[in-house]
Amino acid sequence: MFINAVFIILFLLGFYALIVKKNLIKMVIGLNLMEAAVFFWVISFSDIGGEVAIHKLNEAAVNFNDPVPQALTLTGIVIGASTAALLLTLIIELNKFTDTIDRDEIEGLNN
Amino acid sequence: MDIKILLLILVPLALAFSIPLVDLINAKLRRFFVLVGILLESYLLIKIITENYTSLIDGDFFLQYHLGGWHPPYGINLVMDSLSLLFVSIVTLSLFLIVIYSIGYVGHHEGKYYVLYFLIAAAAQGVLLTGDMFNLYVFIEMLTITSGALIGFKRSHPASEAAIKYLIYNIIAGLFIFMGVLLIYFNLGTLNMAEISNNFSLLEDGVKLFISSLFITAVLIKMGIFPFLFWLPKSYDTAPSPVTAVLSGVLSKVYLYIFIRLVWTVIGIDTLTAYKLDILILDIALFSSFLGHVFALQSNNVKRLLGYSSIGHIGMILAVIMLNTEAGFYGGILHIISHMFMKAGLFVALGYLLQYTATHHYDDFQGVGIRDTKVFVAFIILTLSMIGMPPLLGFASKWYILMAFLEARSYFGAFIVIFGSLTAVIYYLRYIAKGLEEVKLYKGELRMEIFSRPLISVLYREKIVSFITYSYTAIIIVFGIAFRLLDMPLNMAIKSIFDIEKYIHLVLGG
Repeated sequence: MFINAVFIILFLLGFYALIVKKNLIKMVIGLNLMEAAVFFWVISFSDIGGEVAIHKLNEAAVNFNDPVPQALTLTGIVIGASTAALLLTLIIELNKFTDTIDRDEIEGLNN
Repeated sequence: MDIKILLLILVPLALAFSIPLVDLINAKLRRFFVLVGILLESYLLIKIITENYTSLIDGDFFLQYHLGGWHPPYGINLVMDSLSLLFVSIVTLSLFLIVIYSIGYVGHHEGKYYVLYFLIAAAAQGVLLTGDMFNLYVFIEMLTITSGALIGFKRSHPASEAAIKYLIYNIIAGLFIFMGVLLIYFNLGTLNMAEISNNFSLLEDGVKLFISSLFITAVLIKMGIFPFLFWLPKSYDTAPSPVTAVLSGVLSKVYLYIFIRLVWTVIGIDTLTAYKLDILILDIALFSSFLGHVFALQSNNVKRLLGYSSIGHIGMILAVIMLNTEAGFYGGILHIISHMFMKAGLFVALGYLLQYTATHHYDDFQGVGIRDTKVFVAFIILTLSMIGMPPLLGFASKWYILMAFLEARSYFGAFIVIFGSLTAVIYYLRYIAKGLEEVKLYKGELRMEIFSRPLISVLYREKIVSFITYSYTAIIIVFGIAFRLLDMPLNMAIKSIFDIEKYIHLVLGG
């Protein structure tokens, strides 16, 4: 329950930043916050309080955490980092032409 | 187990990363390398088709490759059935034509361009061939990042804006797909498409509804259907012409493939009909098609107009597919093929026609038809095909779509098909008339405009570029007359869409 509440709050915070904030870099931060919320939720949901999923030869592993969601989230984090890097590069490029990163002053982003 | 399927993905991927190394040795080798790579890719595909020709005729064509030797449902598997084979063939043909066009078109920063281009090629093939949900997500994100970088490739003010907008929409869509994939994993404990499709109906109602709506919303954002269409025309406008041809000719069709694969194979259309979601999507798609054509009427920018018309056509294809009948799929997939070549051909022709003008505005179109008459005739033939004139491919596909709508008694859909054709007459005729208007241009003025263009310079291999425009026109005319040639692959693809049990059986048992 606590995990779900944190997930929803983080996600909505990111969504709020994406929709309301006029600063483009804050919008990127909002996007990343949404991604981080999803990753956080996945990781904590897959944690069932078990052991590390390393198979030992003479012990039968009964209760271990599933490592697959962690591996998938790692891929997701890499993709999120690269998209954020690309977005920030484009914002720098845009800033060369407009001298501002305010969404309202860049007319092309609004129509 | 056929390693050629894996090579279809690996060849463009390896090529993309070897191009910077080739640049270090000699930049002139680059074009040779690019040609060799795309020819190798086509050779692989032709080899696959000829080796399995008998099974193709019999209708039990199926190839699979297990990465790392792990048998499904454990490892990642690549699957090629008739539907993926059809899409792989048309996507490879498009990529082949556009890469030759790019050799003629892209002047500066060629190395970077080809790296991104072949990453798109690899990701598109990967999406079409994979049988694993998470792999699908990774390839989709690869498509997003590379196409976003290509949209901002001109490094001008509007290009950066369009790329930022495109990326923000598409990253959110990617996040939805990630959530959907992980929810499936938590609930079913597997990522293999066949295994998921086997067990998906056992889930609780709420979970099923949530997962399907996550996937469908994501794919609708990526295709540019009504509530999320605002990124599309802008990015079509500012990207260089070959990139726009890739965006409309390859990417939107790949997303339609993902939609078919997810909804029919993974989720199952019965899940959607149980919640009446299919009628909702049908109506949204038709409304989006209507809006696309209406926006196209008021557009004063020719590339933006083509973007809006793309929205119209993709909405129409989605609607006719959502009818869930064989006739609907026949028309839909035929229109996917014809729209792929018509729209890419139009963008390719525009890249040639608008080479001397600073913008793509309506007024700049004045006189282009007199300057380059031959290419303008090709442009007119392609627009006639978009409208749906009889001997061309656009007519055949629109006819089948119309018949499918009438057969399913969806009269609003039939109205949209006719409405799209009629508005297309109006908005294309306007540009054709403007293009044939006479204009007095001085040589000095022309040169000024050429050198004021940013980064991507004027074409310096006009012959290649015009040749590709003619070949697109030839494809449209030849297949328009002989569209019955496409009968066999279309019927096979439709059979493999509906026969889900065979897919599950072949993946898990074969």
